[in-house]
Amino acid sequence: MAGSGNAHLRPSGEVVLRVEDLVVEFPAGGGRSVHAVSGVSFDVARGETLGIVGESGCGKSTTARALMQLPPPLGGSVRLDGVELTTLRGEALRRTRRRLQMVFQDPISSLNPRRRVRDIVAEGPRVWGAGADRVDEMLTAVGLDPATAATRRPHEFSGGQCQRVSIARALVLEPEVVICDEPVSALDVSVQAQILALLEELKERYRLTLVFIAHDLAVVKNVSDRILVMYLGKVCELAPGDALVERPAHPYTRALLASIPRGGLGLPPADRLISGEPPSPVTPPSGCRFRTRCPAATPLCAAEEPVMRPIGADHWVACHHPHGGEGNGAGGLDGAAG
Amino acid sequence: MRRRLGWGFWLALGWIALVLAGAAAADLLPLPRYDETLAGPPQSGPGPDHPFGTDGLGRDVLSRVVYGARVSLGVGVGAVVLGLLIGAPLGVLAGYRRRATDAVIMGFNDVALAFPALVFALAVVAFAGASLVNVLIVLGVLGVPAWVRLVRGATMVFSEREFVAAARVLGARDRTVLWREIVPNVSLPVASYAFIGMAVAIVAEGSLAFLGLSVQAPTPTWGGLINEGRPLMENAPHVVLVPSVVMFLTVLAFNLLGDRLRALTDVRQSGLEPVRRRRADRLPAQPHHVEEGVLLQVADLRTHFTTVRGTVRAVDGVSFTLERGRTLAIVGESGSGKSMLIRSILGLAPDAGTLRGGSVYLDGQDLTELDGEQLRRILGTRLAAVFQDPMTALNPVRTIGAQVMEPLTVHLGMKRGAARARAAELLASVGIPEPARALRRYPHQLSGGMRQRVTIAMALSCGPDVLFADEPTTALDVTVQDQVLRLIRRQREERHMAVVLVSHDLSVVAEWADEVIVMYAGKVVERGPAATLFERTRMPYTEALLRAVPKLTDPAHHPLRLLPGRPPDLAAPPSGCAFHPRCPYARERCTQEEPPLFQAEVPDHLYACWYPVGTGAGVVETSGISGTAEALKAAETTGADETTDAIEGADSRGR
Repeated sequence: MAGSGNAHLRPSGEVVLRVEDLVVEFPAGGGRSVHAVSGVSFDVARGETLGIVGESGCGKSTTARALMQLPPPLGGSVRLDGVELTTLRGEALRRTRRRLQMVFQDPISSLNPRRRVRDIVAEGPRVWGAGADRVDEMLTAVGLDPATAATRRPHEFSGGQCQRVSIARALVLEPEVVICDEPVSALDVSVQAQILALLEELKERYRLTLVFIAHDLAVVKNVSDRILVMYLGKVCELAPGDALVERPAHPYTRALLASIPRGGLGLPPADRLISGEPPSPVTPPSGCRFRTRCPAATPLCAAEEPVMRPIGADHWVACHHPHGGEGNGAGGLDGAAG
Repeated sequence: MRRRLGWGFWLALGWIALVLAGAAAADLLPLPRYDETLAGPPQSGPGPDHPFGTDGLGRDVLSRVVYGARVSLGVGVGAVVLGLLIGAPLGVLAGYRRRATDAVIMGFNDVALAFPALVFALAVVAFAGASLVNVLIVLGVLGVPAWVRLVRGATMVFSEREFVAAARVLGARDRTVLWREIVPNVSLPVASYAFIGMAVAIVAEGSLAFLGLSVQAPTPTWGGLINEGRPLMENAPHVVLVPSVVMFLTVLAFNLLGDRLRALTDVRQSGLEPVRRRRADRLPAQPHHVEEGVLLQVADLRTHFTTVRGTVRAVDGVSFTLERGRTLAIVGESGSGKSMLIRSILGLAPDAGTLRGGSVYLDGQDLTELDGEQLRRILGTRLAAVFQDPMTALNPVRTIGAQVMEPLTVHLGMKRGAARARAAELLASVGIPEPARALRRYPHQLSGGMRQRVTIAMALSCGPDVLFADEPTTALDVTVQDQVLRLIRRQREERHMAVVLVSHDLSVVAEWADEVIVMYAGKVVERGPAATLFERTRMPYTEALLRAVPKLTDPAHHPLRLLPGRPPDLAAPPSGCAFHPRCPYARERCTQEEPPLFQAEVPDHLYACWYPVGTGAGVVETSGISGTAEALKAAETTGADETTDAIEGADSRGR
């Protein structure tokens, strides 16, 4: 996993958001640091949904915060429509905010308990001195009654309704890219389906570009055009959802799929695909970061970090020994040109 | 909803209002002047002319207490306002800005805290004189460090909340974020502490006055009055008692107001909390048959709570049996009563305001008949439980070893050495590497998955017959979930025990359970062997749940079948079938009559539905109902049996 590399990035003309070599570290005391995100690159084309999936500690939420410049990352580049965000500060950064919005995981904590729901959604236009004419439209679009929202506070709404409020707040400024950080993880399955369907509908209606982050691969696959798999601050694999699920090439992707109940799809049991515990992000393994748990690891994996390389049509993997690669027949490099 | 403040709050507010009004309108009241000597005979007790008597110089005590309130309350309120005016902005700034700003402000603050308060008071009074303003300033300034700390703490809590991040994402300036997002949230807890601070300031002023360091005579203050009355304690105790009691009541009232306000900020009550009431009552028993030779039988179990909003039927007539070597899964959305069912079986449901009914038989013995001590002997030995959050199940300040050894020494009476060896074996059996070393570690030194393994080891330590696992993997990553569920199954086989697995995750249930109970609004709505229940689903709720979950095999952007609405309000459940408001197949009968559990064609497969899916009964005359349009279209164009197959086919493909 590893890996780094930018071979999988597309020409900048097609993409609205381009992230290169993103690095985020936190102080861990004693002069050491947590390597939360270490050289992650990806891009998102206009109107596309990029799913980012991984387990806790893989850096997916940290990546989301770094894209939002909350706080700006330690290294790397985040370009929105060609404008570099990481070097902007103060007022210049603030002016780009409305183009990049975010929906948070916890529907309760992400709404101010002391404000009325309509005021929460109206905050964006108010900050930017715009009229509140879009507020009622947005509330209706997310399935809430503007009259009720005008008088009630968040705790009078259910978790699903609060998440609708969060979505309305993010969309009211007509952003180009919306980053959804685990937006359905805290919800019951029936409500989760409602929110996923709502996101799909709004994406269509407002021609949104989405970055959808979650730990549930089935959920991510449902809404995403392409999926990026992360492990311990690195990227593993990038592919369209169907290819990723049907032909997982990275050993970690395979372990992740095999761990999902009823998700195995002919893979060996998960306990044969992954072993041990995740290493500490303070002292990550050399080379490929997955090698300590990988059944296919060789000395090469410790010595050299794998970089992203093509393994099929729009299918990229950062692994020295990908499944189905190198003479195994499936995939191959032929389809990689596209 | 409006929350009850209680009569104590209103009484306290009334008293403070009375004292404040008295102090403000003292000049207008028909009272002698506070300094008018010989207004009555000296040291006379309470009487019609002087309700609280007179002091040593014949001055009216009531008048002196009322005028004294001006100083005492003035200092109390004024010092807090002054302290907050200086402390609150510094605290908000330190808590929001963090880093250097925080370090500088808190540095000064810590120095100020270290300064001896009484020396400061003495110095100011000695140099500047003991006027009302000076005392107020002294007490106000002395309070500043505490206010800075309090406001900073509250600010830090709220500035980490996601709504603050959301406001910054919207492009709000810091000023706006502070005013609109943080200050309104910080002000309520601060206001509650302000009342408590006023009580403290009143006592502090009283102490200064008692030492003669407050406003000087002849201006009366409560502390001063107590001091003056001290020599007269034997002849005229009322001179001391009256100001003492008034001060005591005032301080109490301020504390009570502050406390009540703080409780308001702490708890967000939903009105569904059990009312404070006598111990648990029993509901009338339904006759039932006790099965022979069954390991666990739950018969018509009921747990109802009496709440402000009415009776909540959290568990309402649940029955099932479970054999050794089997896993029973209980599945449902939040509020379905699945966790409360487990707690009710284990006798762990809360006592207060609870109504209980039904029986739980373990090898034919009714556990609901046992007293606390007898039940305790069974819990942990024959019945064991693992809960969702391993961190809250483990004591953070005790080592893993101490906690795993405890059931061994308590229940099995093992000696320490033997218990330690057994604990190491147990940890090894749940897949913890280096068990001897793990015994010496603390819970926070282990990962979430390892912690859950430890709680499983603890649950298994006394060789239970039934292991209850309440959402054991919900807090864990999917690769860890697989390991933990695999472990539970292996242990079940090795120990020949039964497992009750509570989960909201249908795919977990489908993969790991033999039998499944689907709960909705406290009731069993479908029950049966796992394979049958998922492939020949009868209850529309089960069907809807299955379809609402995205599947890996579906293509990207595959539209999910929506289950509209959300679980019912348990205090006011719908009439008839509780699912009917969300059910696409619901008809007249569903709104009026509650369906019993019907037997499906497969043995042990039960469902509670008048018009079950997959039988043809549910798909007649349902055209025009949205939500399951696909299935309905199929129903109209084909025979009912083929529809069944179409629906089931779609589902099994889905998995």
